[in-house]
Amino acid sequence: MISLGLIPLFPLLGCIILGAIAIISSGSKKGPAEGFVGTLAVLFPALSFAGVALLSLNMPEGGIRETLCNWIDIPMFRVDIGFLFDGLSRIMLLFVTGIGSLIALYSIGYMHGDRGFARYFAYINLFLFSMIVLVLSDNLLLTFLGWEGVGLCSYLLIGFWNKDIKNCHAANKAFIVNRVGDIGFLLGMLCLVTIGGSAILNYDVLSNFISMVISGNHVELVIPVLSVAGILFFIGCTGKSAQIPLLTWLPDAMAGPTPVSALIHAATMVTSGVYLLARLGSMFALLPVVLDIIVVIGMLTAFWAAVAGLFQNDIKKVLAYSTISQLGYMFMASGVCAFDASIFHVFTHAFFKAALFLGAGAVIHALSGEQDMRKMGGLLKKTPVTACVMIFAFLAIVGFPGFSGFWSKDLILEKIFMSGTMGQAVYVVGLITAVITAVYMGRLIILTFFGSYRGSKESEEHIHEAPAVMLIPMVILAFGAVFAGYLWADSIGIKFFAETLAPVVGAAQAYNTPAVVAHVNPVVFAALGTVAALLGMFIAYKIYANARIPAAKGSSAPEGGKATWTFLFDSIHKYVGIIPVNVLAWICDVVVDKILAAAQWTIGAIATILGDGAASFQVRKVRLQIALSILGLVALLAIVILTGGTL
Amino acid sequence: MLLHLLVLAPFVAAILMVMTSKEDSKSSSRLAILMGIGFTAMSVALIAGGSVSTEAIEWFQIPGCKGPVYYYLTSHGLASWMVFLSSGLSLVALISARAITCRSYRNFAIGIFSLMGAMNGTFLAADAVLFFFFFEAMVIPAAVLIAGFGGKDRMKAAMTFAIYTLVGSAPMMVALWYILTIADNSTLISIAVAVQGLPEATQNVLLVCFMLAFLVKTPIFPFHGWQAITYAEAPAPLSAILTGAMSKAGVFGFIVWILPIFPLSMNAVSCMMWLGLFTAVYGALMALRATDGKKLLAFSSMGHLGLAVAGVFSLSEAMLPAVLVLLVAHGISAGAQFYLMGIAERMAGTRELDKLGGLSSKNPVFSTLFGFAGVMALAVPGTAGFVGEFSVLLALWDMGPLPALVAGFTLILSAAYMLRFIQKVIFGKQACEYEEGRRTMPLEGVSIAVMLLLLLVFGFHPAYVTDSLNETEVTEDPAAAQVLNSAALNNGEAPMTAEEIHQLDSTLAAAGFKDDERASIIAQMKGDASADAKSEKSVKEASDAK
Amino acid sequence: MELQAIYVQILALVIFAIGLMVAVSRRNVFFVLMGVELALNAVNLSFVGFAKTLPAEASIVGQVVPLFSIAVAAAEACVGLAMVILIFRNRESVDADTYSNMKG
Repeated sequence: MISLGLIPLFPLLGCIILGAIAIISSGSKKGPAEGFVGTLAVLFPALSFAGVALLSLNMPEGGIRETLCNWIDIPMFRVDIGFLFDGLSRIMLLFVTGIGSLIALYSIGYMHGDRGFARYFAYINLFLFSMIVLVLSDNLLLTFLGWEGVGLCSYLLIGFWNKDIKNCHAANKAFIVNRVGDIGFLLGMLCLVTIGGSAILNYDVLSNFISMVISGNHVELVIPVLSVAGILFFIGCTGKSAQIPLLTWLPDAMAGPTPVSALIHAATMVTSGVYLLARLGSMFALLPVVLDIIVVIGMLTAFWAAVAGLFQNDIKKVLAYSTISQLGYMFMASGVCAFDASIFHVFTHAFFKAALFLGAGAVIHALSGEQDMRKMGGLLKKTPVTACVMIFAFLAIVGFPGFSGFWSKDLILEKIFMSGTMGQAVYVVGLITAVITAVYMGRLIILTFFGSYRGSKESEEHIHEAPAVMLIPMVILAFGAVFAGYLWADSIGIKFFAETLAPVVGAAQAYNTPAVVAHVNPVVFAALGTVAALLGMFIAYKIYANARIPAAKGSSAPEGGKATWTFLFDSIHKYVGIIPVNVLAWICDVVVDKILAAAQWTIGAIATILGDGAASFQVRKVRLQIALSILGLVALLAIVILTGGTL
Repeated sequence: MLLHLLVLAPFVAAILMVMTSKEDSKSSSRLAILMGIGFTAMSVALIAGGSVSTEAIEWFQIPGCKGPVYYYLTSHGLASWMVFLSSGLSLVALISARAITCRSYRNFAIGIFSLMGAMNGTFLAADAVLFFFFFEAMVIPAAVLIAGFGGKDRMKAAMTFAIYTLVGSAPMMVALWYILTIADNSTLISIAVAVQGLPEATQNVLLVCFMLAFLVKTPIFPFHGWQAITYAEAPAPLSAILTGAMSKAGVFGFIVWILPIFPLSMNAVSCMMWLGLFTAVYGALMALRATDGKKLLAFSSMGHLGLAVAGVFSLSEAMLPAVLVLLVAHGISAGAQFYLMGIAERMAGTRELDKLGGLSSKNPVFSTLFGFAGVMALAVPGTAGFVGEFSVLLALWDMGPLPALVAGFTLILSAAYMLRFIQKVIFGKQACEYEEGRRTMPLEGVSIAVMLLLLLVFGFHPAYVTDSLNETEVTEDPAAAQVLNSAALNNGEAPMTAEEIHQLDSTLAAAGFKDDERASIIAQMKGDASADAKSEKSVKEASDAK
Repeated sequence: MELQAIYVQILALVIFAIGLMVAVSRRNVFFVLMGVELALNAVNLSFVGFAKTLPAEASIVGQVVPLFSIAVAAAEACVGLAMVILIFRNRESVDADTYSNMKG
C-alpha cells in the first residue's frame, strides 16, 4: 500500500526539478534538451496516475484516510494536513492524473521549440499538484490551498507568453475574478467555523454533524447559518467553474497555450466547483433555497453560454463557451441534488472536451497559429486523424446515442425533470440548450473540416498533420469520449459509476429525494435527447453546410448585437465592479489624499510662519543684541524688585 | 546576555564601522555582513531560547518622578520575532547595499547598524522610558540614511519623515512623563497600575497621546502622510527595513504597550478596528492608482498593516498568533519586494511603472524571484501570508461578518494591484534599456531566495512562529505574564481568580517587589478589574438606552 | 588703614560697566573681546573682595574660585581669539555688525 502523500508529491517534485532546470538553463543561449525535459514532465504525472490506479484497485469500502501533520494550530483554530481517498476523490484523481499525463505528453509536441519549454512543464506539474491536493484533501482549508493553487497556475499558464501584454491582462482577469469567488469560499469556511469550530472543516466531521442535526431534528436551527455558508461556497464555485456572474474570465483564458485550455480550462480546474458541491453535498441537501439558486444559475449559464457559442469565430472561444455551457448542466444537476450525475458529466466531459481542445490545438498547430474558423475549412482530407478525433468528440458532446455525452447529459436532464415542477421548466430550457449545443458544435465542425479551404494559398501548403506524440493522447481521449459513458449507462442497466459514488453522496441524495412526480419511462428521455441532438445537427447542416462564409476581416471577435450578448457580463462587471472601485480609488487618491496633504501643509505652514516671526525679533547686529539682552535683564530685575520680590 | 548583545552590540558595530577605512569598501562590507550574520544568528537564538529578561539596572532618575528609570530588557514571542525581522532585514540590506553605495558603504553600514540597535531596543525594552528612548532613536539614523542615500527628493523626504514621526510621538512623551509622576517606576506593570487608578477622562487623554505615536508610526489613516514619499525616496534596502521592521513598532506598541496599560472600552476598540480596516482599503485603493513602484509597495504595506491593526483590535482569542504571523509574513515579503524593486530601479534607472517592463526575458532569475515574491504578497495558501491573513480574518469574524467582508474585499484589491505591479515590471515588451552591469548579485539573489523560502516554510508549518507565543504563557517572566493578564482584563473577562492572583504574586516576587508593594498592586488590580466590568456595563446600558 | 570691602565692590562694578560698555559699543571684534575679558575680571575682583570679608579659614574658598575662573578665561580667550581670526580670514573684516550669518 502506498502512502496518499506520495500522489501529490510526485508532481511537486516534478515542478521543483523542472523549475530548477528552467532557471539554470535560462542564462544559456540554447534551452535544455527537450527530450529530457519532456520525459521528466510526463514521468511524474504518470507516476502519480499509477499510484492512484494502484490505490483504486484495492480501495476499502469506506475509503482511506491519512493525516500527515498539523498545519495551523492557534487558539480557536486547528487544522491538519490530511488526505481522504474515497469514491469521489478516486474518480476525480483518476481522470485528473490520467488526462494530466496525456496532455503533458501532447504538450511535448505542441510546445516544441518554445523558449519556455521547461518552465511550461514546471507550471503544469505545479498545477497537477494543486489539483490533486484539491480533490484529495480531507478538509476544506487544504482544499482551499489546492483551490487557490490551481487558480495561480491558471494565471501563470494563461500569461505564459507574457511578452504580449494582452495575455497578461487575460491572466490578471482570471486571477482577480477567481479571487472574488475565493473570498466567498474563505468566508464560507469562517461561517462554518462559527457553527462547529475548526474541526467542522473536516469533511467527515461535517457530514457527521449534518447527520446528527438531521437525526436530532435541529435542521431549522442551523439552516440560516448554513444557508449563508452555502451561498458563500457557491460564490466560490461560480468563480472557479465560470458560472454567472463570475464567468467572464474563461473565454479570455483561451490566451494560454491550447493544451492548457484543454487541461485546466476544460477538463479539470473548472470542474472543481462541481466537485466542491458534491463534496459538501450533505450540507447543500439541507438547503432548498440555495439549491434552487444553483439550478437557476446553472440553467441561465448553460443557455446563455450556448447562445454566445453560436456567435464566436475563434475556434477556442467556441469551445470555451461550450465548456461554460456544459458546466451549467453540471450545476443544474447539483442543484437538484443529483451529485452523482453531475460528477458523471464532469467525467465524460473531461474526455470529450479535452479531445476537442486537443483537436483544436492540432488544427491551430497545423495552420501555424491561425484560430479564426472563417479562415479554415476542408481540413478533413489534410488532417484526417485530427478530424476523426474531433468528430467523435463532437458526437459525444451533442449527445448522439451511444456516445459518452449521451449517457451523462441524458441522466442529468432526467434527474432534473424528476425533481419537481420547477424541474420540468428547467428541463425544457436544458433541452433547448442541447439543441443549440448541437448547432454551434456542428457549425464548428463544418467550418473547420468541411467545405473548401478559405485561408491564403501560401499557408495551405504548410498544413500538416500533427506529430505522433500529439496524436496518441488525442486518440486515447477520443476513445474515452466514445466509451466513458458506459460506466453508467442507465438505460441498459450499468450502474458502476453510481455505485462507487454512493458511499459519498448517497446520504445527501437520499435526504433530498423528491416525491415521485410522475413515472416516466427513461427511454422517453433518451429519445427526446436524441431528437434534440439530431435536430441541432440538422439545423447546423442546413445553415452552414452551403452558406458562403463572409471573408474574415479584422479580429475574430463578434460584432454588433452578438458582441452585446457575448460581453454582457463583462459590461456588468465593468459597471458593478471595476468602475466603482476606480472611482473610489480616484476619490482616495485625488480628493482625500490631497485634503490630508493640504491639512499637513497648513500645519507645517503655521509652524514655519510662527518660527519666522519669532526669528524676525532677532536684530541683525550682535552688539545691539547684547545691549537688548542687558536691558531685558535689568527690566526683569526691576519688575521683581518693584513687585516686592526678593533677589 | 543575548539581550544586551542584541541591543548594545549593534552600536558597537556601528562604532567599529566608523573606524574602518573609507577607501576599502570591499573589506568593510565583508566585515559588516559578517556582523550582520552574527546578529541574525543571535536573534534566531533568541527565538529558540524562549522568553528571557535581564536584570533591571537603575539608569537615571527623571526629576519630579517617583521611581528611577531602568535599563531593563525582556523578550517574549512577539518581541523576539520582531528582533529577528529587524536583524534579518538589516543583514539583507547590508548585502544589497553593496551594489548601490560603492563609495560610502561604510557610512551606510554605520546607519544600518545604529538603526538595528535602536529597533532591537524598541522591541526588547521592558521599561517605558527605555522603550520611548529607542522608539525615538530609530528615527534619527533612518532620516540620516534617507538624506544621505535617497533619491531626488531625499532632503524633503528625510525632513517629512523625521518631523512627522517625532511630532507624532511628542504627545506620548508628555503623557509618559505625566504617568511617571504618579507611577512607582517606569516598568509596564507599575504604569498599568498607575493608569488604572486615574479618572476615566484623564485615561482617555493619555490613551489618545499614546495612540497617536503608534498611529503615525504604523501608519494608520489619516496619519500616513510621511509614508509614501519616505519609502519612495529612501534607498531600497532602507525602505525594506522601514516597512519590514520599523513600521512594525507601531503595531507592536499597540499590542505590548496600549492593550495592557489602558482598559479600553468597546467603543474605542471597534473604532480602532474600523480605522485599521479603512486603512487597509485605503492603502489598497491608493496602490491601485500608484504609478511609482516603490509608492505602490508603500501603500501595499500600509494596507497590510492596517489589516494587522484591525486584527489586534478584534481582541479575539486568536489575535496574538494571527497578528504575529501576519507581521512576520508581511515583514519578509514586503522586505523582499522592496529589495527586488531596488534591483529593478538599479537596472532600469527609474521607478516609474510605465517605463519598466519586459524584465522576464531580459533577466529570468530576477523575474522569477520577483514573481515569486509577488505571489507571496498575494497570500496564496501555502505561504505565510495566507496563514496570517486567514487567521486575522478569523479574528475579525469574531467581531461580526461585516469586518471580515471588508477584509475580504481588501484581499481582492490586493490581488488587483499586485498583479498589475508584476505585469508592469516584468511582463510585456521591454520599455527601456537595462544596464547590463547592474544585474542581481549572486549573494543578493540567494538572500532574497532564502527569505521567500522562509515564507513557504512558515506557510506550511506556521507552528515555528506561533509556538514561540505558547512559551510566553508558561513563563515566569513578569512582563509577559502581565501582557497576558492585562489582555485578559481587557477582554472583559471576570475579575482575576485566586489562582491568577497567586501567580501574579509570585511573578512579582520574582521581579523583586517588596511585600507591601505587591499587596497594593494586587489590591489595585482586583479593584480595577471590577471597576472595568462596571464601566463596561455602563457603556452597554448607554448603548441600550440609545 | 583697612580697605573697606565696599570700595572693592565699587571698583569691580565700575570695571564691569566699562567692560560691558566696551563690549556693546565698540564695533571692532577685538575690542568686544577685550570688553568681555574686562567684565570677567571685574567679577573675579568682586569675588576676592567678598572673600576678604569672611574669616580667614572660609575666605580661602572665595580666593580659589577666581583662580579657576582665570584659567577658564585664558582658555576662553584662546578659543575666542582663534574664532575671531578665522572669521576675519573669511570676512576680511573685524566689524562685529557685519557678522549676521546666524540670524534665523
